[in-house]
This record gives sequence, structure tokens and C-alpha cells, in this order.
Amino acid sequence: MESLTDPSPALREPAERVSPRARSMWRLGAALEGAFVVGVAVVTAVVGWTPWWLAVIVGVLVVAWAAVVPQWRYLVHRWEVTETAVYTQTGWWARERRIAPMSRIQTVDLSESAVSRLFRLATVTVTTASAAGALSIAGLDATRARELVAELTTRADAVDGDAT
Amino acid sequence: MLLVHPVREVLRFLPVLIGVFVAGRSTGGGLWQVTAVVVPVGLGLLRYLTTTFRIHAGRVELRRGLVNRHVLSTPVERVRTVDLTSSLIHRVLGLTTVRIGTGTASSGGDDQLDLDGLPTARAQALRAELLRIAPTGEATGVEHPAAPLAPVDGPPIVSFDLGWLRFAPFTSGGLVIAGAVLGVLTQVGDDLGLFRRLDPESLVRGDRGPTVALIVATVIVVLALISLFAVLGYLVTNWGFALTRPAGGGGAAWQVRRGLLTTRETTLDVDRVAGVVVGEQAGLRLARGRRLAATVTGLDSSQQTSSSLTPPAPTAVVLGAAAQVLGTAAPVRGPLTPHGPAAVRRRWTRALVPAVVLAGGAVVAVVLGAPVWVLAGLAALPAAVLLAVDRCRSLGHALVGGCVVARSGSLTRKRAVLGVDHVIGWNLRATWFQRRVGLTTLVATTAGGSQSVTLLDLPQARAVELAGRAIPELVDQFLVRD
Repeated sequence: MESLTDPSPALREPAERVSPRARSMWRLGAALEGAFVVGVAVVTAVVGWTPWWLAVIVGVLVVAWAAVVPQWRYLVHRWEVTETAVYTQTGWWARERRIAPMSRIQTVDLSESAVSRLFRLATVTVTTASAAGALSIAGLDATRARELVAELTTRADAVDGDAT
Repeated sequence: MLLVHPVREVLRFLPVLIGVFVAGRSTGGGLWQVTAVVVPVGLGLLRYLTTTFRIHAGRVELRRGLVNRHVLSTPVERVRTVDLTSSLIHRVLGLTTVRIGTGTASSGGDDQLDLDGLPTARAQALRAELLRIAPTGEATGVEHPAAPLAPVDGPPIVSFDLGWLRFAPFTSGGLVIAGAVLGVLTQVGDDLGLFRRLDPESLVRGDRGPTVALIVATVIVVLALISLFAVLGYLVTNWGFALTRPAGGGGAAWQVRRGLLTTRETTLDVDRVAGVVVGEQAGLRLARGRRLAATVTGLDSSQQTSSSLTPPAPTAVVLGAAAQVLGTAAPVRGPLTPHGPAAVRRRWTRALVPAVVLAGGAVVAVVLGAPVWVLAGLAALPAAVLLAVDRCRSLGHALVGGCVVARSGSLTRKRAVLGVDHVIGWNLRATWFQRRVGLTTLVATTAGGSQSVTLLDLPQARAVELAGRAIPELVDQFLVRD
């Protein structure tokens, strides 16, 4: 491209994947949302506000969505914790990589929604003092998530200061 | 311990009291109306009589309430800013309100550390005490000597000049006032039935009747009114503006004083100033002006008024002040690296696509029989071109003087400068479109101001390189090993 990019350093992907069961969880979520959308499309078609072909198109799109997006999301979602930093990669269409130093971690949250408990999964969220800086790892195995929280808490505690 | 002064409350209610007495006399039902005023005044007095504060064991404590006791307590070291505000009534009585900014996320009125109605001298002493006790240099672990902060200021770095009033009509404040004035005028015009005589198609037909004259006259009057209100607003807010660095302790704080009627003095802890934002809105740039705000750790952008460092003022003055605050001029005056051809192309597509859709829609509508004036939608095209050109020119970044610098935008262009020490994380975000052309948006997160500085559409490798150069020990471990 140009001189800016000559010594092209690149970030590698974070080392660890989330649990494969996360795919099923995201598929279920997509299926539930999709079922609602298809339901609305079918009802309006039955009432006669919209033509039937529209409901068919919506149905095809929803199936494609539920088939593609969770898999794509699973391929993107990765995380890594080192001695000094937390590194995550999330998203699918828009991919976001976040790096936060261990010394700036303020809180470590573990959350398990009803759906994620069904799949024995949990979400770990690491917040810093910036509202723009929270790192969230969704779809972790629940046991692994608990270990991770304990590990992060110990490491973050070891650093002095108020992390701003 | 100090009793917070209750006189202000009585004075505030005095006009109402007199009004009620007069009204009561004339209508005869006096007693109820008097009760309706006496009760709130009494409650107010009670509140003030039962409000006390103290600084004890490194904490500021505020107690209030007689029945429902409410104790608010915060460590002195968490004090980021101290605000002294005096309304006209306060000033007549020699009082002031102290607001202690601790960077709390809660915005509930009860959780604000506000000490209303302190004698001014006592308030200044309190401010000095709060900022002296606060251990500074916490992030680096260096303790500054706790020298007393004199209530008297050093020579001002920036002080008000009447010539600055010329910037008032070019500020967004002026635009807001413009909106309000236009709204009122439209309402009045509608009531007077002006719009029923206004026929848009007569313009197109070249029918130069009273309509054109009316429009021109209205525009001139509106512009004059906008300018007048903006200048008045600027004068009231910024009269007597002064940015100083009070002597003592090597200068541990920045102090901003301003206001014509209500005066306001804001003191910012130097070590909490993470960076600055130079406001370069299109209007201000036309008038060769800029404005400056500080990014203060722990204060978010909703507390913006606490972090303003200069009002709209000449560029040289603003950049000089920024250089003083940062300790180096390079981040605000130095050149910026452009983001390359892919980012430029992206500016063009993002500006042109909506404009083409709009213009195309207008043409199609007219072809399908809409009135001819709908073709005004074509004006979106040149506007989009101007916008794209300006955005391309604005886009730039730098890592200089220990600061990350990012500039972007057109109408609301700004140059954000953030000290590398205050970067508490990196976000690299790229949509599929961005990845396709090798761009990524780098965001430096921080604990103050707008919470982040965004470097829009950097070439991927450049983004990684910049993040790595800023904080090598953080980023290097995640680089691809060759």
C-alpha cells in the first residue's frame, strides 16, 4: 500500500477458543429470534397485509442467518489471559479485538443467563475504569469460567493503585 | 464543622413571599397561601440547619437530614475537581457553593458532594485543603510535597478578551439558540398567517412578489438575532475568563474562572488531567478559532462544564494554553500522519452514497410528478463533496510527546490528545468492509472525558504498530512471531 505499512506488524489471534457448545447456544438464540420474526411474517400474511412470498423470503433469510451467523461467531470468538494482559476477539461481521493490561482491571463479573445455564456456559466480563473498555468473553464452559474469574481476581489484586 | 448558611433560602423565597402576600391581600384567602410558602421555606431552613460537613481521617463527610439521616463520605484522595459557583444572590451575600467532583458514576442529586452557601473565604480555604491533602502523582507512585495551595492565583495563562465575542455566532451554542429562535419565529409566523401567503412554487416560476423580499428580510433578521443572542450568551458565561495555575506546590492544579452574573471557579488536579480535546468545529475554523477542554480522569463527559479549559478563542491562544497544560506543544501543533488512500476512499463512499440516494430519490420523485422544488434534494451532492473533502483533510493521527493524537470529523472536527500513561486499553475494531481494504479503527480507552480516543480507519499494520509503540509491554506479546 504505502510507506506506513512497511514494517507490517500484525496481531495474532488470541490463543483459546470458547466452548464448542457456545455454537449451539447461539443457534438456539438465533432460532428463537428467527421464530418470532417468521411468526410475525406468517401472521401478517394470514391476515392479508403482506403477500405470502414475503413470508417465504423472510423464512429463508432466517434459516440462513441461524445456520451461518453462530458458526461465524464461533470462529471469531477467542480469548487469552497472560501474566500482564487480557486479550479478546469478538463479533462476526464487525470483528473487535480488545487488549487491557492486568494492572487496569477493576472488576471481574461472571454471569450465567437461563439459556447459557442450559448449555453449562457462562460469560466473563472484565471491566476497566473506562466505559469504553469492558472485555467480555461469552460462551465459556462454566467450570472454566469460574477458574478464570479466580485467576483474574488474584492477578488483578496483585497490582497496586486505583487502576485509573 | 461548619453550619451551612440558611440566609440564601429565605432570600430566594422572598419574591414569592411578597407576591403571595400581595395576592393574598387582594383575594382574601391569605392564610393558605402563606402556609404554602412558609412550609417549604421552613423545610429548606431545616435542611440547611441540619447539614454539616467535615474532613476527618482522610475523608470528606457530608451529613444531612433530621429524620432521615444521610451521610455521604468519600476519600479525599479521590477528589478530582473542586468547583466554586456563586449565583448573583450568593455574591451579594458573600457566599458560594462548593461542588466536590469525585468522578462518581451516580448522578443522583443526593449523591453529589455539594456544600451550598459557604462564606467565600471559607470555601477557598476548603478548596486549598482538599487539593493539598490529596496525594498526587498516585499513578506513578511519586508523592509530591504537600505544599499549601494559595487561594490567590498566579499570572493567568489565558485571560478574557472582548475581541473573543466574534466567535460567539460560530459556536454550537449559537446554533442551539438559533434553533430556539427559529422555532419561536415559525410559531409566530404561523399564528400571523405568513405561511399561507408563502408559495414555494412562485420562487421557481420567477414570480418576484413579496415572497422573496419576505424570505430575505426574515433571513437577515434571524441571522442578526442569532448573532446577538449568541454574543450575549457568550458574554454571560465567559466574562472575566481566566485560566491560571495557582502558585504553591509547584502548581498542583489548573484553575478556570468565569461568569458575568454567576461566577464559577473550577480547579482541576494536575495529575488527573489525562489529555485535552481541541474543538475545531467547522464554524469556529471559519472564524479562525478553537476551543479547549481537558480530559479529566474520573470525570465523564456529562460533567463537561467542569473540564472546559478555554471558551471559543483565537487559535494561537487556545493552542498556547493546550501546550502549557500538556507541557509540550508537539501534540497540538505538530503535523499529523494521514491515514492513506483506502481511508480517503472510505470517506468518499460514506459521504456520497447517502447523498446520491437522496438526490436520485428527488429526481425520480419529480419525474413521477412531484413539485419541481423537490429538486432541491440535488443540493445534497455538492454538500456531500464538500463534507468528504473536509473529512479527508481532517483525518490524521500521531504518537508524539508521549501522547496519542487523533483528529477526525468535519462539522464537529476535533483533535483529541491523550497521554500514553492514561491509556488503559486498546480496542481494534474492523467491519468486513474495513478488513477487505486493510483498515481498522483503533480506540484508546481512558477513564475520563468521552472515555476513549478513536483513531478512525488506520491501515491495519499502522494501528498495531502505534498501539505497540505506545505500550510495548502490553502489545508485543500478542504480535505475530516471524
